[in-house]
Amino acid sequence: MENVLTPTNTKNRSRIESRLIWPALLLLLLLSIAFVAIPVFLIQPFRPQTQRALEISYLLRAWSPLATVIILLSVLALTFWKWKRARRWWRKALLVIVLLLSIVPAWFARQNHFEWMFNPLHNSSYVKAADAGFVRDSDMVLAVKINNEAVAYPVRLMAYHHVVSDTVGGTPICATY
Amino acid sequence: MWETTVDGRVLHFHLAGINNQNFIMRDEETGSWWQQVTGEAIFGPLKGKHLKPVFWDELTFGTWKHEQPQARVLRPDEQVAASGKYAPADWEERMLRVPVATRTSAPALNKRELVVGINVNGAASAYPITALQKQNPIIDKLGGTPVIVVMSEDGQSVRAFERRVEGQEREFFLKPNSSPLRLIDDRGTEWDFAGTALSGDIAGRQLPRIAALKDYWFDWKTYNPNTTVYTLGDR
Repeated sequence: MENVLTPTNTKNRSRIESRLIWPALLLLLLLSIAFVAIPVFLIQPFRPQTQRALEISYLLRAWSPLATVIILLSVLALTFWKWKRARRWWRKALLVIVLLLSIVPAWFARQNHFEWMFNPLHNSSYVKAADAGFVRDSDMVLAVKINNEAVAYPVRLMAYHHVVSDTVGGTPICATY
Repeated sequence: MWETTVDGRVLHFHLAGINNQNFIMRDEETGSWWQQVTGEAIFGPLKGKHLKPVFWDELTFGTWKHEQPQARVLRPDEQVAASGKYAPADWEERMLRVPVATRTSAPALNKRELVVGINVNGAASAYPITALQKQNPIIDKLGGTPVIVVMSEDGQSVRAFERRVEGQEREFFLKPNSSPLRLIDDRGTEWDFAGTALSGDIAGRQLPRIAALKDYWFDWKTYNPNTTVYTLGDR
């Protein structure tokens, strides 16, 4: 027997597809959130890390800028498709909310939230040792000397910035703490 | 502290995460992840590469300024300073109360005990600050190399050296009541805290430096799992 699409058949299929849209949208949104939330959870301070957790975090962080945008575009496509078929206003409103929510992980994937917490110093400036009124003699410093140029990085400042880029004696270095 | 040139290219580092309370850095150029304490790329295109270490000291400002009066010092960021976000002067005592969340096996010391860690020929040893306060300098042998760990009279600055002159091992003692600190070796030569001979026919000679890392015990142990711990009365 031939499988002919009768008007009723088409209508049924369209209804099933239409119903599948909501779980599909929800799944995409959760996937996108997982991409950015899992590394945040795994590599948070004051929690032990395993090699496996680090590797997962690295892969998710490396791929999340692309993955979250692909997901966002898929959500956008599904939203267009569903928009024409959505008859009630609150369904359209829900579509808009899901779309807006999927923008959040795509944005977050482009942020470095560690630098929100631990402000690195990208434009460092210096004073002569004799003029450094902000360091007491008993304060600890990290001291380097390369090709006869000496520089000190007070530990109290390093404990806040953690990473300071510098060039000492012609050698590009990064002071870390 | 690291040189940032890798294969002829200067990398720029950002903070990217935490691995057992030690920072992971990410370089702008390739996106690789680097462990701050070891300088090794752990993930990404540069995985397995090592940054070249820069020799550095952890000293009190007073001791350093005395040695380098003309040098420059990192200045506080004005905005950060104005908002009071830099650590208060007593931050080291406060850190002792921060919980430790790494897994170290069978701790020999308290996790937050301060040690001086040195690494010679693949052998690692930790010298508790409390031991140095009781016995200064500490004379030891590590990885077959005779070493000396010495604390400055400020009670905080620590340096380590190979205690060998022209292949000959030497013993060192603290010169009593010296300020700035002076050491005397078993042949009567006087040395300063920078490891420079001040007297005798080898005046001006420099003892080979060994990088000494002042660290918490748990952190040193995590990255040097085979480390030994120096205890007083070892020799």
